[in-house]
Amino acid sequence: MIEYSEADNKMVLKLVYYGPAMSGKTTNLLTLHEQLSSDSRGELMVLDTADDRTIFFDLLPFFLITPSGLKIKLKVYTVPGQVKHDATRKAVLQRADGVVFIADSQVGEQAKNANSFENLEQNIALVGLDIETLPLVIQFNKRDLADIIPEEALLEKWQQTGIPVLFSSALTGEGVIETFAAIAGLVYGHLDEKFGLAALHRLSRDSFVDQLCCRAEP
Amino acid sequence: MKKYHEQIEYLVGQEPNLVELLQAAEIRELLREAVNAGAAWILLTLDDGSVVCSEEGRSIPPEFREIRAPLSLEGENIGTIIVRGDSGCSALGGISAMLRSAIMIVMHNNLKRMLTAEMHTSLVTRTYDELLSKNLDLSASEARYRELAQSLELKVKERTEQLGIANARLLQQEKMVSIGQLAAGVAHEINNPIGFIKSNLATLKKYSGRLLEMLAWYEERTADSPLLAAGAAAKKTELKLELVKSDIWDLLAQSLAGAERVKKIVADLKGVSHIDESVDREFDLAQEVERIMTVIQPQIPDDAVIVQEIEPTPKIPGSGALFCQALANLIQNACLARPAGLKLTIAARCANGLVRFSVADNGPGVPPELRNRIFDPFFTTRKVGEGTGMGLAVVYDIINKSGGNIFVADTLGGGAMFVIEYPVAAVEGV
Repeated sequence: MIEYSEADNKMVLKLVYYGPAMSGKTTNLLTLHEQLSSDSRGELMVLDTADDRTIFFDLLPFFLITPSGLKIKLKVYTVPGQVKHDATRKAVLQRADGVVFIADSQVGEQAKNANSFENLEQNIALVGLDIETLPLVIQFNKRDLADIIPEEALLEKWQQTGIPVLFSSALTGEGVIETFAAIAGLVYGHLDEKFGLAALHRLSRDSFVDQLCCRAEP
Repeated sequence: MKKYHEQIEYLVGQEPNLVELLQAAEIRELLREAVNAGAAWILLTLDDGSVVCSEEGRSIPPEFREIRAPLSLEGENIGTIIVRGDSGCSALGGISAMLRSAIMIVMHNNLKRMLTAEMHTSLVTRTYDELLSKNLDLSASEARYRELAQSLELKVKERTEQLGIANARLLQQEKMVSIGQLAAGVAHEINNPIGFIKSNLATLKKYSGRLLEMLAWYEERTADSPLLAAGAAAKKTELKLELVKSDIWDLLAQSLAGAERVKKIVADLKGVSHIDESVDREFDLAQEVERIMTVIQPQIPDDAVIVQEIEPTPKIPGSGALFCQALANLIQNACLARPAGLKLTIAARCANGLVRFSVADNGPGVPPELRNRIFDPFFTTRKVGEGTGMGLAVVYDIINKSGGNIFVADTLGGGAMFVIEYPVAAVEGV
């Protein structure tokens, strides 16, 4: 959590889209920005990129107010995927409330996925978070491409870890909101335990997820 | 992990400080142009009520209208632009919209600049700190290696010396073991023949008695016949039988005594090598002294006077064989110190909680400046090739290992006295 002010009745949360370079983290955010209603979200801020590669991070903020009047701001970040930007990844990962790991479904990209996931595990520990309790989902992106690992194989490998696995094609927009809803649900559970979102603020899980994932009018 | 937290001060996601994002100086020009374009009065406020900037025209028209436009950042409303102007001014709407748009762009760009700059600064600082600490580690490591390289030569020399000493000790011990084994082997081989020699000599003595008795009987019988008696006397004289008669007992007695002595030497040899005992737990001082004196006798000059003042003492823990070896070394040293006219005093007594054993000679003694060096391995005052310098080192080792203490002192006459002390507590502990 970035900050929680009882005086201002405001809570600022952080969600991080992690993953290897070119796996589609920024595209996920672009799709969310495009498909979700501007009622709940702010503007997408893309910080200086070079050749379409993220150097710092992208930011898409979301807002909602609980029936009790608590203002919740959810800031969704991407990290730079390239190996050399590890320091930036650590900085962005600090105090995250949830992580979405964007993996590349293509057969030839599995080693990069594994390296990046290992890097995520290391950095989570380095910034003082606990991978056992931190809300985490995995999205296998680029399902629209030809040479990809079949869903069954991926599920068989990852289901035993207990981490929810989703499939998407960020370019066409499939599975992006579902991934966002999945991590939002997990983050809600985590927050509810600590801050009593349901009991004290009368905000249910469904209401939390629905408000964040409110689709734009066509 | 903790170190990392301490280094990162800037947190990605911190809510931006709006006053920093909208500085009056930056947008004053914009506001002034808006006034020039027809606005009469412009006010820019933040949500908390603070005024960032305001601009007034020459006069407020009597009939004016007011347009309020919200400012937002990251999707949140953070302030308001209020534009007032003549009711008839048709451009007022456009002025307000353009002003809002321009200020939003300034804010947005400022936010981006702030985020990237702070991120960059924090990363640079952290990288620098990491480099600094790495550099420190490297310097320390380099210093360590330099020191290592410098002391390496010294260390090698030191270790080589230690190795040499250990090697010499080992050699000495092996030598003693071989000598012991040889002595034991010889003793075993001699034991049998000396046994039957002794027994045969005793029988021979008995038989000789019978022969002499027979001779006396013949003499008695031939006395009656003068012719026979004269012949017998002539033959007796020719064979020097009178001499044989008196000498035969001496010869036999000497041979028997010699055989007895050989038997004792063999027994002591076996004792010194302690070949019959598997592991010594304790030994008796007086017994070991007696054994070594028999064995070492041939090495002691004939004119040497040996005084033994051995009082009964408790048994000493340790190996008797090793003690014999130490004692032999001390006695050999004394013989070399005074080749002629040696007076050797070996004493043992128990007093004041100590068993005190000493070997004293009347040689030139040990000069005080050499006393702390004589027990060092390879230290010798003899010519090259005459002494190994290991004798006293081995003695020191043996005594130390059995819980004793050895030092050298003066005798009244100026000779050397080696004193070995065992604390009675250690002695009684057995």
